[in-house]
Amino acid sequence: MWTRRAFLKSSGLAVFAAGLGGCPTFLNRAALAARAPGPFGRRKVLVTIFQRGAMDGLMAVTPFRDPHLAALRPRLALPAAGEGALLDLDGAFAFHPAFAPLLPHYREGRLAVVHGVGSPNPTRSHFDAQDYMETGMPGVKSASSGWLNRAVGLMGHDATPFRAVALTPSLPRALSGDAPALAVANLRDFALNVPGPERLRAAAGQSLESLYAQTTGDLLGATGREGFEAAHMLESIRTSDYRPARGAAYPASPLGNALRQIAQLIKADVGLEVAFAESSGWDTHVAQGTANGAFARRAEDLAAALAAFWTDLEAYHDDVTVMTMTEFGRTVRENGSGGTDHGRASCLFVLGNAVEGGRIHGVVPELDPDALEDRRDLPVTTDFRAVFAEVAGKHLGLTDDEALFPGWRGARLPLFRS
Amino acid sequence: MVMNVRFLAPLLLILIGCLPAATLERRDDDRMPYAAAGLTEREAAAHLLGRFTFGPRPGEVDRVVAMGPEAWFEAQLRADAPEDALEARLARLPALALSDSALLRLYPRPVAVRNRAIREGYLTRADLEALPRPALEDTLRAYMDAHGYRPFRELQGQLFAQKLLRARYAENQLVEVLTDFWFNHFNVAFQDGQARPHLLSYERSAIRPHALDRFRTLLGATARHPAMLLYLDNARSSAAEDAMTTLDVHMSRVEASGGPAVRRRIEAARRRAAARQTRTANAPERPAPRRGVNENYARELMELHTLGVDGGYTQADVEEVARAFTGWTVLPPPPEGDAVRARLERRRNAGFIIEGAFLFRPNFHDAGAKEILGEAFPEGGGLDEGERVLDLLAAHPSTARHLARKLAVRFVSDDPPEALVDDLAAVYLDTGGDLRAVVRAIAYSPYFWEPSALRAKVKSPLELSVSALRALDADLDDPRGMLNWLRKMGQPLYAYQAPTGYPDRAEAWINAGTLLNRMNFAMRLASGRIRGVTVDLPALNRRREPASVEAALTTYARLLLPERDVTATVAQLLPPAADPGFARRLDASARRAAPPPEDGAEAPAEAAPNPATLARVVGVILGSPDFQRR
Repeated sequence: MWTRRAFLKSSGLAVFAAGLGGCPTFLNRAALAARAPGPFGRRKVLVTIFQRGAMDGLMAVTPFRDPHLAALRPRLALPAAGEGALLDLDGAFAFHPAFAPLLPHYREGRLAVVHGVGSPNPTRSHFDAQDYMETGMPGVKSASSGWLNRAVGLMGHDATPFRAVALTPSLPRALSGDAPALAVANLRDFALNVPGPERLRAAAGQSLESLYAQTTGDLLGATGREGFEAAHMLESIRTSDYRPARGAAYPASPLGNALRQIAQLIKADVGLEVAFAESSGWDTHVAQGTANGAFARRAEDLAAALAAFWTDLEAYHDDVTVMTMTEFGRTVRENGSGGTDHGRASCLFVLGNAVEGGRIHGVVPELDPDALEDRRDLPVTTDFRAVFAEVAGKHLGLTDDEALFPGWRGARLPLFRS
Repeated sequence: MVMNVRFLAPLLLILIGCLPAATLERRDDDRMPYAAAGLTEREAAAHLLGRFTFGPRPGEVDRVVAMGPEAWFEAQLRADAPEDALEARLARLPALALSDSALLRLYPRPVAVRNRAIREGYLTRADLEALPRPALEDTLRAYMDAHGYRPFRELQGQLFAQKLLRARYAENQLVEVLTDFWFNHFNVAFQDGQARPHLLSYERSAIRPHALDRFRTLLGATARHPAMLLYLDNARSSAAEDAMTTLDVHMSRVEASGGPAVRRRIEAARRRAAARQTRTANAPERPAPRRGVNENYARELMELHTLGVDGGYTQADVEEVARAFTGWTVLPPPPEGDAVRARLERRRNAGFIIEGAFLFRPNFHDAGAKEILGEAFPEGGGLDEGERVLDLLAAHPSTARHLARKLAVRFVSDDPPEALVDDLAAVYLDTGGDLRAVVRAIAYSPYFWEPSALRAKVKSPLELSVSALRALDADLDDPRGMLNWLRKMGQPLYAYQAPTGYPDRAEAWINAGTLLNRMNFAMRLASGRIRGVTVDLPALNRRREPASVEAALTTYARLLLPERDVTATVAQLLPPAADPGFARRLDASARRAAPPPEDGAEAPAEAAPNPATLARVVGVILGSPDFQRR
């Protein structure tokens, strides 16, 4: 039989670990880390957003003077003027109206568009194309690491557990590999969450922390200590009601939440250098819509989240570059269901103070069926690796493109001011 | 008689010399070499349970010792223990009882449902645009009900559930451990929408029955399975436009031997085929079905499934192997596939071969001559070419080493000794790739028992979570809570996207985030707060109360970590005996833990235990570094 006495006594466990004195140093370091410039210095941060489902690049950034567009997209082509009109960028290309929050960034020269970008591998399978874009090794199914993971590995300096973080439920292929990387859907989860009363929680935390602190000489001990340290770091910044700077309003969407938490990590200076977020729902086979509708809702979310992120990060603009990516584009011709099917090239955005913005980079040919890939798709004129290598290379200071993208011997697409 | 013996004795010696495999058979008196490594029989039993099962259940070390470690292991290799408890639980998953084709019929993919609903007039394409989502869903549901279809996610849930239930409850644990191993070796990802409906069938018909079979049989079963054919794209691999196909060869033979009537019919068939091709080419809005060889399967077959990346094949071999597998494809799922099946069944004499959902299309098979790994494949071949490639690969010494190393990594250590790999590879080659013999050789190898190999493996999240359930004798009723935790710990089931499968190394599983989540899982499990899982901690100690803190810790550490030296763990959790402040803090803490008994009365002896405190003790043990190892 259990008696109360034994269990009253056993809760004395609470104090054992504290008696060993493992805890305060973590807290001290976390407190230090919360102040800028922190112990890890100001590092450059690359924020990547994967638009899953394949964004229709021609609707996002429309070559609106193209003479074939109206015939190919009788229901989907947006007007150049009037209600729900496109936002003219340079007389040849225009934003979808839902990208209005990004227009100032384009006009002020920090937002660049790369058009006609895609993979040399012609697969039109989401699964394969996302895989290839995330490994950066088109056609190589068994690639063992993601390109962002390799980028982290190539940085070659000490790091905190927060160097590479995906704000996703599980680690994306892009961040999988030998270099340490974290997936955390919600920063609140990155803690020791012991159910029950607060007192027991603290006691169990201290017991475990003490066990890992005293496990020396192997991966479990070292990683355990790192995990507790990281959790304490976060504890110090989590102060649950985070207030974005300058009234930045993130949309209450998965992408908005992810970017808000990335901003928190950046401001906390916990050593973040590569971040990954996702935006889903771009697979618009049916009822894609025009100024309103399925595409517009996704675009609105992306633009609002990005704009809020940039506003929130005012003091960090020189440190941060954001890049979007999507696995492929969509058919130039609309289909019978008011949508578009899987195609080839799409476009992507790069946002940062050093970016050669206010320009459409890349090549978009006239949409004459004879100029299209397989007579139906926007051709890939820029290998996505030419963009990724440029952005990671220039922003994170990587030089070995061959190591970043094994098997690729192309040239970077210049996108940064020198 | 005397003469007979004199003649027979040398003859017997010669025979034995000719049959090296015979020496590999275990005799009853063969012992595993654990004593030489300094292990007791109990420690040996615990080590075996840690490696060849999903973790020991309460009292299981005693049972292994009672049987004898060798006898226990042979029983696992035979895998013939009755599975009443497991079967009773699996019986609640009706999908498991259905045939492959019945599964495909009952659980159509959502995209197929939509297309059928449109085709049969329940919906129009315009409705997809115009109807609000709830109305659209209602319509689709009504359509599914009318046809007796079930939602796909129900199948998905049962696939996940059966995996966890088997790991938790199967008596024949080794088969489940190996099923997990070989599925991962021949990985197919759940994310692949086309392969997904075939995963249940893949595991139960291509993997589990062959987990202790000849490797060649296992390899062949995966090669022909729709899950693999779709996942690695062989299903759409066909001879290049200008290649001579097996059907061409067949037709020219028929043509040569047949009269004018036969030739006229063949001529007409050719005209129809040409017209079909022109029609497709002139419809630019639909991509022409790409004829051509797809190398994915061929490459992964050699790199991952057999030879290994440095196994001595060339890019030319990849291309030739890919040609050998052209035409290995899959029938469309029913009911759409029924018509195709009926049509092709009639053409069996032209070389179309159908087995379940597997389809060999002679009109897609490149019948040209090939050279693979130095062997000549003469022109005119068909389905037999792929089978011959599998024969070559399965018997190759590189395959023996590749598989030996992978098995050694799974069962011995992340960096197994080369000599162990050599030994296992030799057993593989000597036995013609008998996986049962190779697995047996692991447990009889001195390297398996070396002190450096004990507790050398960090558990995968699946191993960790299931071993915790088994150690606690926890009841697993609904697997959904567990699935969520597996994802948080870094191993979403069936969801490793790449064909490599999950890496089987500590570094792949352990990072700051996943390790914290292992501890969180442990604390929640011990508190009975994982959905669908019930724990009864006092029952583990037969409701006997430990007399002190130290006793509670020691008792449960011993129960949960059988035959481990738990003194270090316990000591770390207990105060230094000489600490003068300890007693004071302990008392203060005890006062905070619960209100004092009313009116100073002694608590009755049968007072309810403090479950939160016991949960914390157990949670800390399950979250400890020691429990992460096997």
